[in-house]
Amino acid sequence: MPAPRPVLELDAVTFAYGAVAVVRDVSLSVHKGECVAVVGPNGAGKTTILRLSLGLLRPDRGSVRLFGVATGSFRQWWQLGYVPQRAVASSALPLSVEEVVRSGLAGTRRAVRRGSATRERLEHVLDLMGLADVRRRRVSEVSGGQQQRALIARALVTAPQLLVLDEPTTGVDAAARAVLRQSLEHLVRVEGMAVVYVSHDPGAFTGLADRVLAVDDGQLVDVSAPVAPAAVRHAAAT
Amino acid sequence: MNPFEFEFMQRALVACTLTAGVAPLVGSFIVQRGQSLIGDGMGHVAFAGVGLAFLVGAEPLLGALACSVVAGLLLIRMSRAGLAGDLAIALIFYGGIALGYLLSARAGAGQTRLVGVLFGSPLNLSWGRVWLIAVLAAAVVALTAVLYPRLVALAFNEEAARVSGVATDRIVLALTLMVSLVVVAGMSSIGLLLIAAMMVVPVAAAAQLASSYRGTLVTASAVGSSSAVAGLSVAHYLDYSPGSAIVLTAIAAYLAAAGAGAGARRLRLHRVARSAPAP
Repeated sequence: MPAPRPVLELDAVTFAYGAVAVVRDVSLSVHKGECVAVVGPNGAGKTTILRLSLGLLRPDRGSVRLFGVATGSFRQWWQLGYVPQRAVASSALPLSVEEVVRSGLAGTRRAVRRGSATRERLEHVLDLMGLADVRRRRVSEVSGGQQQRALIARALVTAPQLLVLDEPTTGVDAAARAVLRQSLEHLVRVEGMAVVYVSHDPGAFTGLADRVLAVDDGQLVDVSAPVAPAAVRHAAAT
Repeated sequence: MNPFEFEFMQRALVACTLTAGVAPLVGSFIVQRGQSLIGDGMGHVAFAGVGLAFLVGAEPLLGALACSVVAGLLLIRMSRAGLAGDLAIALIFYGGIALGYLLSARAGAGQTRLVGVLFGSPLNLSWGRVWLIAVLAAAVVALTAVLYPRLVALAFNEEAARVSGVATDRIVLALTLMVSLVVVAGMSSIGLLLIAAMMVVPVAAAAQLASSYRGTLVTASAVGSSSAVAGLSVAHYLDYSPGSAIVLTAIAAYLAAAGAGAGARRLRLHRVARSAPAP
């Protein structure tokens, strides 16, 4: 029986901004039902790896595949959920929580967007993320934790198989972080989703990730438990 | 006496109400993208097109449309190449207005005609010109309705929109075209230098009162249209320039909305504080 296809695959990827190599020969495979954390200090190249993974940057060398398809040819965007940093929730104009979540459907066809299955999915993710009561409130006026959950709900509204989060714990207090962790655990363990998150905080969602990868000099170093805490702290400090 | 009994006032009313009503639809997206001054700049560049049209004897609206679309495309290309800094944009915009005046002077266009283009001359519109403005306004409404979900996604976060499958390059292009259409529609009624204000000021007023994006769009459009009606009336009775009166009315509406919004927020905080349990 063939091995299951990775949902995300980076193969010997190298990327430089001008003459500065930020990512060097990075390889990574993420499978369905797996949670992978990419940690490291600010400026280490985490966000560059994330942007390469999403097809927002093209690698100088190597290849990136989503669901077996090179990112340049990938069109099944509904399979991919992306949660940007929470700062994007500080909108200049009023956007309700529901409008933020609904904006995740913008790339789907009109018939899909207006279908009953999509409406049910919208209600489901609002309930799942505990946002049903605040759906009509301005996203800039709800708590940091609720803003983060709105961004996750936005990414989940197309029922993706891979969820990618950029600094999901920034500006989120301990209680809200616990709620977020619980939601992500449900997505990975119950719904079988693949989750990848990047964080400068090695302690973000402790124990959730199946693998913890530290960015060290443009390369990924597996620092998963049992040696994770010390190695991650070291990687984050350098 | 009702000022709108006169046919020239009826033409001005239709043209200004339509223009001021659709301008905020486009304006909301450029404000959200942090490009509030793009409409102003496009107006400057459109003036070069008007000057060129005067020189070759073409329809000024077409010249304005062509020049603003070309400038929009150039700005998109520069932005993608990382070249659209403040200075580069300023060079294009100021170059546009300087070239516009130079070409207009060479063409022998009178000062009255130029003032009409820059600050609007809605009282001199023909029904044919009003129909043309109505077609441009309808095109803006149709594009907003069709592209609405993608425009909102783009305005919220361009990268997240792209990962959602939105063809962001095409939507940015469409938005630029929509700005050009509004600038051209506003040229004869509110003026090339003032139409940008109607893209931004009603949106700023609506943002004080609405709690959703859709609500902001509807409220901003209503503020824009109402400002046109009130501004034209004031201009008629006090013999003011209609374009200026419309923009100043919109600014007054913004100040009133800002005051009402601040009051409502204070009241909400007061209620929250009163309902909180004592320590």
